[in-house]
Amino acid sequence: MARLFERRLTPKDSPLVILATTTTAFFSAMFVTSFLFLSYGASPFQAYFALFHEPFATLRGFGYSLVRASPLALIGLGTIVSWRSGFSYLGFEGCFVIGAAATSWLALLMAPGAIIGPLPFFLFLPLAILFAFAAGGVWAGLVGIVRARMGGNEVLISLMSNYVAIFILQYLVSGPMRAPGSLPETRLLPRNTWLPFLLAGTRAHAGILIAIAAAGLVWMLLQKMPLGYELLVTGFNPLAARYAGIDVARHLVLAAFFAGGLGALAGMVEVLGSQHRLMDGISSGVGFVGIVVALLARLNPLAVIPTALLYGGMSVGADAMQRRASIPSSVTFILQSLAVLLVLIFDALRYYRMNFDFWRRKPPTVAERVSN
Amino acid sequence: MNGSPHLGSAFVVTWLSASLALAGPVLLAALGETFAERSGVLNVGIEGTMLLGALTSFLASYYTGMVWTSLLIAMLVGIIANVFLAWMYVTVRASQVVAGLVFNVLALGVASTVYRRAMGNSAVPENIAMFHPLHIPVISNLPLIGPALFGQTILFYLTLMLAFVAHFILFRTTFGLALRASGENPAAADSAGISVYRMRYAGTLISGAAAGMAGGYLVLAQVGLFRESIVSGQGFIALGIVIFGRWNPLKAAIAALVFGACDALQLSLQIFGTRVPPQLLLALPYVVTILAISGLFGGKAVQPAALMSPYVKD
Amino acid sequence: MKNTLEMRNIVKRFPGVLANNNVNLTIHAGEIHALLGENGAGKSTLMQLLYGFHSMDSGEILIDGERVRLDSPKDAIALGIGMVHQEFMLVRPFSVAENTVLGLREGSGPLLDLQRAGQRLRDLSNRHGLALDPAAKVGSLPIGVQQRVEILKLLYRDARLLILDEPTAVLTPREKDHLFAILRRLRADGRSIVIVTHKLNEIMECADRVTVMRDGQVVATRTIGSTSEQELTRLMVGREVNLRADKSSQKIGASILQIKDLRVEDETGREKVGGLSLEVRAGEILGIAGVDGNGQSELAEAVMHLREVKGGHVLLNGTDVTRLSVARHRTMGISYVPADRRRVGSVTEMSVADNAILGLQRKYTRSLFRNIADARESAEALVTRFGIRSSGIDLAAGKLSGGNLQKLILGREIMRGSAALIVEHPTRGLDVGAVESVWGELLRAREEGKAILLISAELDELLNLADRIAVMFEGRIMGTVDAAAASVEEIGLMMAGIPVRETSMAGGEIKETSHGETL
Repeated sequence: MARLFERRLTPKDSPLVILATTTTAFFSAMFVTSFLFLSYGASPFQAYFALFHEPFATLRGFGYSLVRASPLALIGLGTIVSWRSGFSYLGFEGCFVIGAAATSWLALLMAPGAIIGPLPFFLFLPLAILFAFAAGGVWAGLVGIVRARMGGNEVLISLMSNYVAIFILQYLVSGPMRAPGSLPETRLLPRNTWLPFLLAGTRAHAGILIAIAAAGLVWMLLQKMPLGYELLVTGFNPLAARYAGIDVARHLVLAAFFAGGLGALAGMVEVLGSQHRLMDGISSGVGFVGIVVALLARLNPLAVIPTALLYGGMSVGADAMQRRASIPSSVTFILQSLAVLLVLIFDALRYYRMNFDFWRRKPPTVAERVSN
Repeated sequence: MNGSPHLGSAFVVTWLSASLALAGPVLLAALGETFAERSGVLNVGIEGTMLLGALTSFLASYYTGMVWTSLLIAMLVGIIANVFLAWMYVTVRASQVVAGLVFNVLALGVASTVYRRAMGNSAVPENIAMFHPLHIPVISNLPLIGPALFGQTILFYLTLMLAFVAHFILFRTTFGLALRASGENPAAADSAGISVYRMRYAGTLISGAAAGMAGGYLVLAQVGLFRESIVSGQGFIALGIVIFGRWNPLKAAIAALVFGACDALQLSLQIFGTRVPPQLLLALPYVVTILAISGLFGGKAVQPAALMSPYVKD
Repeated sequence: MKNTLEMRNIVKRFPGVLANNNVNLTIHAGEIHALLGENGAGKSTLMQLLYGFHSMDSGEILIDGERVRLDSPKDAIALGIGMVHQEFMLVRPFSVAENTVLGLREGSGPLLDLQRAGQRLRDLSNRHGLALDPAAKVGSLPIGVQQRVEILKLLYRDARLLILDEPTAVLTPREKDHLFAILRRLRADGRSIVIVTHKLNEIMECADRVTVMRDGQVVATRTIGSTSEQELTRLMVGREVNLRADKSSQKIGASILQIKDLRVEDETGREKVGGLSLEVRAGEILGIAGVDGNGQSELAEAVMHLREVKGGHVLLNGTDVTRLSVARHRTMGISYVPADRRRVGSVTEMSVADNAILGLQRKYTRSLFRNIADARESAEALVTRFGIRSSGIDLAAGKLSGGNLQKLILGREIMRGSAALIVEHPTRGLDVGAVESVWGELLRAREEGKAILLISAELDELLNLADRIAVMFEGRIMGTVDAAAASVEEIGLMMAGIPVRETSMAGGEIKETSHGETL
């Protein structure tokens, strides 16, 4: 019996096809969201203009886009390393917070009169990177150990660890690390711990450089290093990995460690580059949008940077859109998530082939008639 | 306050009462999710569904003033949203975790947008019709748990009843048997003539209905208003409770109570004064759930064998 | 079904293979009919068509002369046809009663009535001698009893035709006897039973008639009384040996790989390899013959320590490697070509170049980084040397044809330079050209002095390539013969479980075998 869609044996997966499905999905999401704009009485063109113009066509807006993009990119990279190794880690919101807290704590130690005292930035930064990475790495690594040793479900455990981290943050900024006053935040961090600004007239800071460097390092790890090769094999096929002599459990924990470290770097970058203090609400969902960015970038480390820029820019544009067209900024969440859902749907289509016989309506052959 | 004994028993009663109240919504969501997971689907999207249910029930109660209708509408919204999710899980066969996770972001976007559209920018939400605590005289006379049970809303009793109903359906009906078979050994279910696809759709829709209602429970029986952070991970907690309760509705009720007790502890301790930082107490339920599902206490062996593996019928 | 079931002119094609080629089969009421054939003969496919699992491309099925439609298992069940699969379709955490009523249509309301079901089960089990406790959890029952549950499920639905696919594959000898007793009672009850099997002794013991299939066609149908094991073996196995390998005679060197008293269990604790001993020398191919499922893959995995070894030792050049890690096995000089080329031996999503170094990735490094240049060079060399048809080494390995993928894996393991090579079903699913290629490579490896353990279900392959052939049946060696002097019938009989009393001269060892003895 002829059906319209026949299942292929292997999905069509040339890079061109993947790029095609991704861009089609994105534009389809834009198409669907434009109906939402219409319901506000706004023209979709005006709304999209507001959404994209400010973050990409103005210097100041672009600066903000870079600021928003850096943590998204780093979290996206963490997603890539863990998911492609077969470890479905979702605790990036928590790692972000842990990294932010660890960095703030270290930075406050650099204040004049504090334990360590002022250090030149070029000494402070590597220290901060190592410290934050280690903090996040251990945070996520624990989940990795639970999965590797006890078979715990890393999806749920990592999801819940987000909330534990946030509560730890709230405790820190309301108690031990709180600045004098009643706001749940720390003192302003010492000036010599701030990431340098990049573009005059904007708030763009060196965090984007850290993100780009991290993207390069992740790419190098996965493509050029034997550990990366082994992680990828483990992610594709744990049976083949065992066959190849790879210690699957150890690699899962390592993947968790790297993922947590990258997520923590996102927090570090936010604190040292943008907020300059630790406060309640510093994460605000970036842990999840970062995962969405990685998905739209098809888990490709090099594609994460432009995708993070796109989504970071969209969050900047969302505020502009709210000011100009009175469309709430939460609409961007709809657009961003719809794009990925459509990617998933279109992705599934790669498994099917259109059967053109269906359209030609050939009369059944004798054999077909008999067996029917 | 009188001497210590009264203080002590007052604390226990307050704590127990709060535990039950807080356990309700999470248990309701967990009961529905039990059906989904028993059929083989891990529905991460119940977090977003609860949010949509909360929003819907808030708006419905705001505009109609009728609590039961609002609850029902919330349930319907939960079902409709999960038709899409079920399609993604079972027919499109997308990764269940990814689809559910992205759906949660979508739900947040939709809920925020609709809320702001409906409420404008008014800072203080108006009062809405809510479920009131029931003061059934005979209940307060029950030994030990009487005073705690006294004063719960009808939704609490309803949820408790649903736990028993869910247990019955799952273990004493042909539907429940077919559903469980689809999650344990879909090939065997298939060869017995059961449509695994249909069972998984059913499981997902049931979890959607329950999650939608749970969102309504939060708004209409507890908080009385809507904010974006009203669910705040309770959907994920419900997922943990399913595991903690070993995919059994009655054990889930106990697990939910443990969760509620942890959650209530920080409230009660604050009322009665304590030096433990409140945020760490807030984290307690999450930590306890993590420990419960870490595999430390076994449990992996009991999970539906085909959970999360998509079934392809060739 | 009253009297006869007839399958006429059945044709069924799967991608790349004609599984059933104009098959005709008739089953009478009150008979036990055996369906005999090797792996790939088409017998399982035929029965799956009968049970409605697949739809046939052409042909018809008649019951008592009337055409019937079988689109799904539901139709088959309604017509009184039931099937017990090789892998039981049981839900392990459920009780016997729950498994029985699963999916039941008639007579059941929305509520489960396990009491009534249990009662009916007890009646049925008493009547047919199938003692069972309806409340027992199936997962905790021994395999033999689980099979009885499967049979009871069919009787509960009043199946008149029962199909059993390789029923004795998982049974102990005592359980087998019980099963045959049950089958005889069912036959006396007027039901028909089709047993799909490759085990001759059981057919002779139990069946009334036997149909032999080979390469998708029916070769013959005989009544048991009028045939013999020898004739059946000949029908099942004997064919023109189409391919001939150019095997040079060769000096056999020292003993490289020694397996002593190896015992391996599967996940449920059943013994799959029972005290097996073997020895492979340099420059020799020792073939392991046997129908799939008699412990061969467990043996191969255990030797590589991909599977836990319950007892016994594996020695490579005198060193005990039994419990060393897989990676260590490789560095010490054992290579392995697994049976499942797509799911174990390669990573289909990765490129040919990446697959060419699978298992070797740590060797291709230069300080911290992968030595990609060298790896690619090796991959190119591999592709050229083994004649792998691929549009470049960056093609995803999953896109290669079966033959080319197999050559890739084999080439990789050969080029490693190991002293010992374990190869499992290397030509399964390959076309003639690819088979010839692979054979050539194995012989070349033999000439280079490797010790090769070749596990295969294809007698052709073993006769052409091996120097000695050991036959494995139910986890033990039935006997070992010198390939040059071997007769197909002898091997076939051993493969089917018939012990052969013989002496063999390979390596100067004399073996007297009887059922279950080792070398």
